[in-house]
Amino acid sequence: MRSTPQTLAAIAGLVAVGLLATGCTTTPTETAVGDPISGGTFTYASGDAQPSCLDPHVGGNFPQALVSAQYLESLVSRDDNGAIIPWLAESWTTTDDGLVWDFTLQDDVTFTDGTPLNASAVQANVAHVLDPNTASSTGYLALGKVASTEAVSDTVVRFELTEPDSALLESLSQPWLAIQSPTGLERSKDENCEAPVGTGPFIVDSWVKQNAITLVRNDDYNSPPADAAHEGPAYLETIVWRFIPESATRYAALQSGEVDLIDNAQPDTIVQAEASDTLVHLDSPRPGASNRIELNGGKAPFDDVLVREAFIRSANVDDAVTSLFQGTATRSYAALGSREPLAVGRDDLFDYDPDAANALLDEAGWSERDSEGYRVKNGERLNVQFPVSTNQSIPAEQSIFEQIQATAKQTGFEVSLAPLDISSWYGALGANEYDAVSAPYTKAGPDVLRVLYHSDGIVPAPSGYFANLAQVSDPEIDALLTEAAQISDETERAALYADAQNRLLEGFHLLPLYDQQNHFLLQADVQGMRTLPSVSVPTLYDTWLNR
Amino acid sequence: MLRVLARIGGAVFVLWAVATVTFFAVRLIPGDPAEAVLGGPGSMASAEALAAVRREYGLDQPLFVQYLDQLVRLATGDLGRSYALSIDVGPLVLSQLGGTLLIATLALGLAWLLALALATWSTRGGRVAWYLGSGLEIVAAALPHFWFATALIVVFSIWLGVFPPISTSGVAGLVLPVVTLAVPLAGFLGQIMRESLLLALESPFVLSARARGESEAGVRWIHAVRHAALPAISLSGWAFGSLISGAVVVETIFARPGLGRTLLNAVTSRDVPVVVGVVMIVAVVYILMTLLTDLASRLADPRLAVRS
Repeated sequence: MRSTPQTLAAIAGLVAVGLLATGCTTTPTETAVGDPISGGTFTYASGDAQPSCLDPHVGGNFPQALVSAQYLESLVSRDDNGAIIPWLAESWTTTDDGLVWDFTLQDDVTFTDGTPLNASAVQANVAHVLDPNTASSTGYLALGKVASTEAVSDTVVRFELTEPDSALLESLSQPWLAIQSPTGLERSKDENCEAPVGTGPFIVDSWVKQNAITLVRNDDYNSPPADAAHEGPAYLETIVWRFIPESATRYAALQSGEVDLIDNAQPDTIVQAEASDTLVHLDSPRPGASNRIELNGGKAPFDDVLVREAFIRSANVDDAVTSLFQGTATRSYAALGSREPLAVGRDDLFDYDPDAANALLDEAGWSERDSEGYRVKNGERLNVQFPVSTNQSIPAEQSIFEQIQATAKQTGFEVSLAPLDISSWYGALGANEYDAVSAPYTKAGPDVLRVLYHSDGIVPAPSGYFANLAQVSDPEIDALLTEAAQISDETERAALYADAQNRLLEGFHLLPLYDQQNHFLLQADVQGMRTLPSVSVPTLYDTWLNR
Repeated sequence: MLRVLARIGGAVFVLWAVATVTFFAVRLIPGDPAEAVLGGPGSMASAEALAAVRREYGLDQPLFVQYLDQLVRLATGDLGRSYALSIDVGPLVLSQLGGTLLIATLALGLAWLLALALATWSTRGGRVAWYLGSGLEIVAAALPHFWFATALIVVFSIWLGVFPPISTSGVAGLVLPVVTLAVPLAGFLGQIMRESLLLALESPFVLSARARGESEAGVRWIHAVRHAALPAISLSGWAFGSLISGAVVVETIFARPGLGRTLLNAVTSRDVPVVVGVVMIVAVVYILMTLLTDLASRLADPRLAVRS
């Protein structure tokens, strides 16, 4: 067995890195301000939809991850450099073939209902996620290679895999695979959805639907992740988790002091807040894939690489990002977000170059133009169907698509933007009625590339949805991504992912825009607020109110 | 007796029509309700899970059978179970009803006060008041809830800091939502009241009241306003319905719990039982309001009772 070194020094180093790294954006931890004060009520205002179930095993979306990170904890976490660090599991080992993983759990942790955290509790959680009645999607996919689990001893749980999984630890760091009390899981699904029981620093106290979730402090808390800033119970006594869908209202509630923090902050409010003395901006882009426009290579016109390149060359993204995001987002040239250490950015491939685009279209046979200036071939107009999810693309992003529509028109593309609500949008994708689409996808680690660009991802799930929306079907990319997902050597893994990304970007399958945006605005007297690097959800464990 | 029966029959017909139209309208928009049950569209639900859900909720039946099922359940007062929230629709809708009725009722009351004040002032204050009054009414009636709510938040929450922009436990949180709903409605009611007030003031009965030596206030408040109020009273039934649809916008902007926000979420997630449930409850409230306004009209104008 190969052991992962977990020395005290390494942990101390990670803590230091964690503190430094949270300070690299504008955060309240930049200036030293006395000792933390215990107590107080913190009001969190979320712009996301209210989850239908507070147990992130069920379904598994971002709103669930945001709130559940306050009361549920995972086996491992990631530090700000993307490295895996201990959490409920204090150490782990794997066999040379990568098929057997043993996790040693912290031995003095109990769930807030008094149930002890042990190997069989972890087993119960894996079983819960894999149970079809749980209807888990995100967690279920992440455990795809897990064949069985076994309690080696009270504190050692073994995962046996069907094939090596280099992404296992990254998967387990996600809130969708957080560990819940097995006693809690034995209750009915409805009861567990109302108030899941975990080991976290807070406990779900009550949930008034459509209004607020109230969390109270867990006074017996003793299991912070290795990069936390303190030990013992949290500082805050109560968290009120509210849902304020309207961006302007959310910001007004922050300005008037009704709430302490808002998420989903939009570019206009970020710029306003940065000019204010009483508010602070925390920029915490999500890991996994970048925000990008996928070009559907599965049908005309984007089945032709020349047309894909022409589209990318005729889209003036840089100017659009600068003007519409007002400096709050940085242009990306990669399929992975900048938080992923293995991301490969290729700024040489995405220059705005209408002349090159025109030449490419002529070469591809789209040389004629109709009376409106759009290119035609065999009587067909060069049309790009672009369904836009109004639930997922923020107003600034929708404006970017409009600017791309305008600049692409000059080279003869007719881009048909169709703003749709989320169900209709998924319907259009499932029916293959799209040529370009922007679909967010969050999964910790570079393995997200396999989900998004391996040809297996073109096969629709029974619901009709498939993740490989660019419909990339390239045996070489498939082979690189499959091997990278199995290999244990970090250097070789990085090289394989680099090759795959280069091939993907050089094939012009996607047009990267920027990282998945994740901006928080908070009162300046809120101290010690940070996000968990696994999927950039906030943790209020170290947070205290300097008032 | 026949009239009462006809009335009840009419109400039942309205409820049936509402249930029918809502059911088919929601089912016609693309999107699979079985996915709504399994955590929303785009969930990579397995074929077994989808099949199990379709069986459990009867979604594998032909649409017309599902529709008849739903009618039978509704007839017995069972609103069914929410797909997305996995709770019973009846208690859910009832728990959200109070908040919406509260702001709608307060807004209706405030709209009446504003409209009355504006109408009486503008019919008495000369030409300037007339033009100013009618101008204000037109502007108010044309105010979109969305824009007006945002403007109120900017002025009263951000600049002046007097009212919170979101619902709070106290009364203060009610002010902005109620004003948002009341002002456009006051514009409508005011226009109608002013016209009928003018008509009334020119009527012979006002002349005879003046001849009897009634004071100007007496003429206005006892005789004329009573007449002027009639069309506004009958409009209030409709107004209440429009307030509930306005609640969709207002509850979303001011982050208030209520029927409007529940309805919006349910439509987005294709939660058919909740959509039908909310719309049915709103229809019931609407029918009750129409009954109330009929009664109120009779009280205000005894001639109506005599005629029937």
